[in-house]
Formats: sequence, structure tokens, C-alpha cells
Amino acid sequence: MSAVQAQSLPAPRRVGPERPQRRLRPAPERAARSKPRLAYAVIALGGVAVIIVAQLLLSIAVTQGAYEIDALQMQQTVLTRDEQKLSEDLDRVESPQFLATKAEGLGMVPNSDPVYLRLSDGAVLGEPTAAEGGARASAPLVPNALIDGVPSNGKAQAGETPIGGTPGQAEGAASEAPAGAPAAPVDGGLPTPATH
Amino acid sequence: MNRTSRHPMRRILLSAAVLLALVGVFVVRLVDIQIVRAAELNEQAQDARSEPVTVYGARGDIVDTNGKVLADSVMRYDIALSPKQATKGDVVREVPDPDDPTKSKEVDVPLEQIAAELGAVVGLTGDQVQGIISAALADDPNSDFAYVAKLVDTETYEQVKALDIPWVEPYQHPSRRYPNGAVAGNLVGFIDPDGVPVAGLELSEDKCLASEDGKVSYLHSLQDWVRIPGTEIVHKQAHDGGTLKLTIDTDLQWAVQRIAEARVQETGAEWATVTVMEAKTGRLLAVADVPTVDPNNPSATDEDDRGSRSFTAPFEPGSTFKALTAASVINAGLADPFSKITAPYRIVFPNGANINDSSSHEDLRLTLTGVLIESSNTGMSQFGELMTDRARYDDMLKFGLGAETEVGFLAEEPGDLHGDPDEDWDNQTKYATMFGQGLTTTAVQIASVYQTIANDGVRMPVTLVDGCVSDDGTEETTPSKGERVISSEAARETSEMLERVYQEAWLSDEWNISGYRVAAKTGTAQFPDGEGGYRKEYLVSVSGFAPADDPQFVVSVSIMNPVKMNSSAASAPVFQEVMSQVLKKYRTVPSGAPAPELPATW
Repeated sequence: MSAVQAQSLPAPRRVGPERPQRRLRPAPERAARSKPRLAYAVIALGGVAVIIVAQLLLSIAVTQGAYEIDALQMQQTVLTRDEQKLSEDLDRVESPQFLATKAEGLGMVPNSDPVYLRLSDGAVLGEPTAAEGGARASAPLVPNALIDGVPSNGKAQAGETPIGGTPGQAEGAASEAPAGAPAAPVDGGLPTPATH
Repeated sequence: MNRTSRHPMRRILLSAAVLLALVGVFVVRLVDIQIVRAAELNEQAQDARSEPVTVYGARGDIVDTNGKVLADSVMRYDIALSPKQATKGDVVREVPDPDDPTKSKEVDVPLEQIAAELGAVVGLTGDQVQGIISAALADDPNSDFAYVAKLVDTETYEQVKALDIPWVEPYQHPSRRYPNGAVAGNLVGFIDPDGVPVAGLELSEDKCLASEDGKVSYLHSLQDWVRIPGTEIVHKQAHDGGTLKLTIDTDLQWAVQRIAEARVQETGAEWATVTVMEAKTGRLLAVADVPTVDPNNPSATDEDDRGSRSFTAPFEPGSTFKALTAASVINAGLADPFSKITAPYRIVFPNGANINDSSSHEDLRLTLTGVLIESSNTGMSQFGELMTDRARYDDMLKFGLGAETEVGFLAEEPGDLHGDPDEDWDNQTKYATMFGQGLTTTAVQIASVYQTIANDGVRMPVTLVDGCVSDDGTEETTPSKGERVISSEAARETSEMLERVYQEAWLSDEWNISGYRVAAKTGTAQFPDGEGGYRKEYLVSVSGFAPADDPQFVVSVSIMNPVKMNSSAASAPVFQEVMSQVLKKYRTVPSGAPAPELPATW
């Protein structure tokens, strides 16, 4: 629209034939692709398969382990309970009340006059005195709700039964048992002589 | 060319925008789910698939000085049933087929039989079990929960499990057990069925003993409830409580309680306390309180008897206190065991205080040793007045009176020294405090006074708790550092005088322990009635230590109102029995040389 424009020379026109030259260049011929080798496919697929199988096996192993753990845990629970039961029994029979009742049952009495033998010169310290009186039944003096009924139960009695005999045979077995007979497994208590 | 192909950009832009919007929506949602609400959703998912399970932390044990368990935690079970389900129909049970041992057949078991079986296991009759069911249904026809038995032991639990009744369910219930029963029951205390400590060390040392329950959830297989590995989530770690170690020796404690209980029954006494203390360390080896509470069954004991009177029941110590006054006077350098006075039956001091002895007698010419042997109030007053009230009061404080002991037992009483000596002591009290009246102390405080005299004048802090071993193995112990109260010389002279008391006082036949030198003093005291006055009954006591030539053990006995024998003669045999038991138990070597002679009269 301006004068300058009008006066300016027309821009040199691009020559037509040049374009097609650039545009339609023949594509360079590609090098012939080498055929994909079968081995690669096999390796790749095989790898995938191995991974899958491995994972499956792992998963099976883990699951199997879970069941094993579970079974063991169940076993542990049962054993813990057994342990608790046994330690409760042990604590009960360990209590001074129980021991005292047992000792008194055997006719033992406390002696409050201790006597010492001094090894260096063989001196006797203290006056030897026989323990006095009959056993005072001390069980009711210091109560223990946990051992109520324990002394009379079968377990505690079983300990006094000579090894190898059932409670019923106790008397006969006691006289038959040879002196120094080997200790047999204990079921329920420590073996103590039936005669006392 | 058609329209669409004329605006290819538009199409592309449109689909890009749609795609972007879609992706945007997904991204926002993804961020929202994966990041913003991740925790919440995770939790929801976890809740939907699994329930958090409580992992019980075990409350700590209380053990004695040898590690013997006085209190431990056990798992108990509450057995509950569903009344609604119970009445729905018979239980189908598989039993071996009698015709073909390899097979099993199903039989219907009626409710009556099931109830009887269940009842037999938990200690009820079948009718009682059915009663529980019908009672629950009467309250609520849809009732789905009722307890059959609470706190049954593991054996019963296993039997219930073995019955395999579908509508019966046991629940875990951590509980407390005291294997030694009433041994140290008053010290140990107990906890209520809900696990809340209510008495004794269980309550006061709860910080050490308390455990923390944890929470864990995990996924499980649907069919057989097997835990799936790697799905466990610990919401809260469970912690076991610490182990509380006491200075008490269980065997000795038992022996002492037995002796005390027997004596209380013999003399018809109201209550008694016996304290055994290690003379060189201030450790309490036994603290017996009768009546005794069995923490396994606290309700069998009267509520007032469930604490430890050794710490919580202050009384006027009476004559056992004279040892303290004598030690104070000697320590101040104002007298020695040979100092002479004349002790009349009754004496009126210049300030108007009127003092008399317990029984009428002629004027006695006594040494300080003799005053203790005769337990003369008038004689003791004449020695006590050599010191200022303030000085005597300060000595009492140094002996540990008027303040709670280091033990800090639950509801421990500090005792009452009757206020300030200058402001609150009236003329009579000024003299009465010389022979253990007008002020109160606890049994443990008196034992501590004798410990000081026995330990060369050095008072050791009273200890009942050796320490607390927490579940990670760290141990907390209280350091024990002694404090000199009186000079070594004063302590030795007082001890020698107390030996003369043991040998020459009116009870010397009652408490003879052959082979050992013993220092001891009796007392007869009055007990506050709680209303400002005194009860007319007496509290009789003996305190002492042995062997006097190398003191190892302090024993202090108090018996309240022994109706059949209202004098120190009730407590002396207890002292004798307990002391000989202690000496025997710890294999104490008998004394060699006899006690030095000290003149009682002049």
C-alpha cells in the first residue's frame, strides 16, 4: 500500500524446478535387515518363563513356610500352656506352706537351738538340745489359697509311691524294692521312701 | 476436501485436550488415593481384611531377695457362651461309628447334656449352666453373650476347648498369681480382677511393674486362619513390666508369720507385727503382719487388715524408746552406763510434771543400766532432763522418727512427735517423751532406732525394695548410704546396757537364746483410739538385736491387746523364736565371750 512497496522490485521468484529436486530425493536404500534370530526369542521367552516359575515356586515355598510357621506357633502355644501349668504346679509345691505341711506330715519339728561344729579346732558351739514338742500344724497359720487341696491329690501322693508300683501296691512294693535300686523315671513328684 | 480434514489441528487439539483432561483426572485421583488419603485407606483396607489382635504384655514379677517369685502373671480365661445360639438347637458332634471304626458319624447332643458337660468342667451343675442361659434370655431374648466362668486356669480352658461347643468361646484374661499365698501378702498387696492394682507394693510400685499391651494385625487365609507372611502390622509394641526385687526372704517371712500368727491365736491378740532387719544395711528381711491377707483371696481378710501395720499403724512405743533416750544422753556426754540416780516410785518435777513407774516400789538406787533393766520411768526422766528438749527432739529426728521411712510404703505413717518441743510440748509431755509416751512411732521406725544402735551409731536407710529390673534389662537400685546419729562409743555402751536388760530383766527366762549374746528391751504402750484419747488395752512389744558382740539382725515385735496375757510376756517368746530362727537361718556363729558385767545398782 505504501509507495515504497509499490516501487520495490518484485522479489526474485524461486525457480520451480529446484523444489522437486529437493523434495523427491530417492530414499537411500536401507541395508537389508538381518533376520531376527530364533535364539533371542527363545531366551527372552525362556527368561520370562523361568521368572514366572521361580516366582511361583517361591510363592509356594513361602506359603508352605506360612503353614509350617503356623503349625509351629500352635505347637508353641500348647507348649507354653503346658509350661505354665507345670510351673504353676511347681510354684505351688515349692511354697513354704506346702513344704511345711509335708515336713510335718513326716513328723518333723523345727529345732530352734542351732549347734555348730567349728572345723578349725573341733569345738562345739551352742548347746545341743532336742527339738521340743509335737509338730504344730502350721498349715492354717499362713494361708495359701493356691495349695488348698493340693496335698491330698493324687499327684502329691504319687511321689511317695515306690517306683514301679501303682499306689495300690505301695506297701508290698516298698518291702520288695531292693536297696539301692536304680532310680526310675518319676511321674508326678520326687521319689521319697514310703517308710517314714 | 471435506471439512474435517480442513482443520486437522482442531481435531488433534480436541483429542489432546480430552486426553489431558482424562489423564489429569486419573493423576489427581491417583495422588489422592496413593498419597493424600493413603494412610486412611490403608487402615480401612486393613480393617476390612483383618482385626487388630491384642498382644498382652506381662505385668512384672515381684521376687524376694533370692529370686523366689512372690507375685507373677499368668494367663487365665473367661468362658463365655451365646445364650441365643445355645437354645437354637442341638449340637451336632462327630463320634466314631461303632459299626465301622474307620468312619465317624454325626450325632445330635441335646442342650441338657452339653450343659452338664460344660458345667462339670467349670465346676457348675448342668442346671446352673442352663440357668445362666435362661436368665440371660429372660433379660434379653436376643442375648448373645453371657459368662459361664471367669478366670479359669489353663487346664480348664483346654477341657472347655476339647468339648468343642460352637456357642462357647473362651477369652484370654491376664491375671495375677501369688504362689506363696499369704507369705508377705500384706506387703505385696494385690490387684483387682480387672488388673488394677489396689494395695501394697502392687500399687505403690506400679510404675515398675506395669506392662503395656500391644496391638498387631495381620492377614490370614480364609479357610484355616493361617497367617500370611509379610502382612503383619505392629500397631503398638507390647512391653512387659519390670521385675521388682524385694529385700524380703520368703522362707524367713513365712517362719516369722507363722510364729506371729500362732502367738496371736494363743494370746487372743487383736493384731501383731514382727519386723526383721539386717543390722548393717537396714534391709528388711521379714515384715510380718497378723492378720495376714492371702492376695490370692483378699476378700477373706477384713479390709482393715489388708495393709501392713508395721508401716501404717503408729503407736506410743513405751519403754522400748528408753534405749533411744539413753543413747542420746550418753552421746551428749551427760551420762554413762554407771551414772547414778535415785529412782522413787513417783516423782514431781519443778515444772509440775508428775511421773510414776508402772508398779509401786521403794526408792531404788540405780545406775543408767539399772534404770533400763528396771524400766523405771522416774529414773529415765532424771537422765532425760539432763538434755534440752530441743536436743532430744533433734536426736529423734536423726534416728528417723517423725518422718516416713525411706521405704515409702503405701499409706505409711510418719508418726507424731507431738509438734515442736518448745511450742507444743507441755510440761508432762516433755518428760513423757523420754520414756516413749506422748509421741508415736511405727514398728519399722523402732526397728530402725535399734538398727542404729546395733550398727555402731550409723543409721542405714530402711529398704524394702532392692530395685527394679525393667524388661530391657536395665536395673534401678537405690543407693544406700548411712548417716551417723550417735557416736560409736554411745552406741556400744547402749548396746551393752541392753544386753544387761536381756539378761537381768524380769523376762530373761522367756527369751533366752543359748549361745548368743542378745540386746533387747521390752515395752508396754498405749494405742491411740483415733479420737484423741487412748484405748485402755495395751500394745506390748520387744525390740532387740543379736549377736550383741557383732550385731547382725534386729527384731522388733509388737502385739496389740493380747487379752490372755496383757504384758510384754506375750511378745517375748515371739522375739525368742524369731531371733533364733533368724540366727539359725543365716548360720550366725554363736558369740564367744560373755557380755560385760555392768552394775545396775549402787
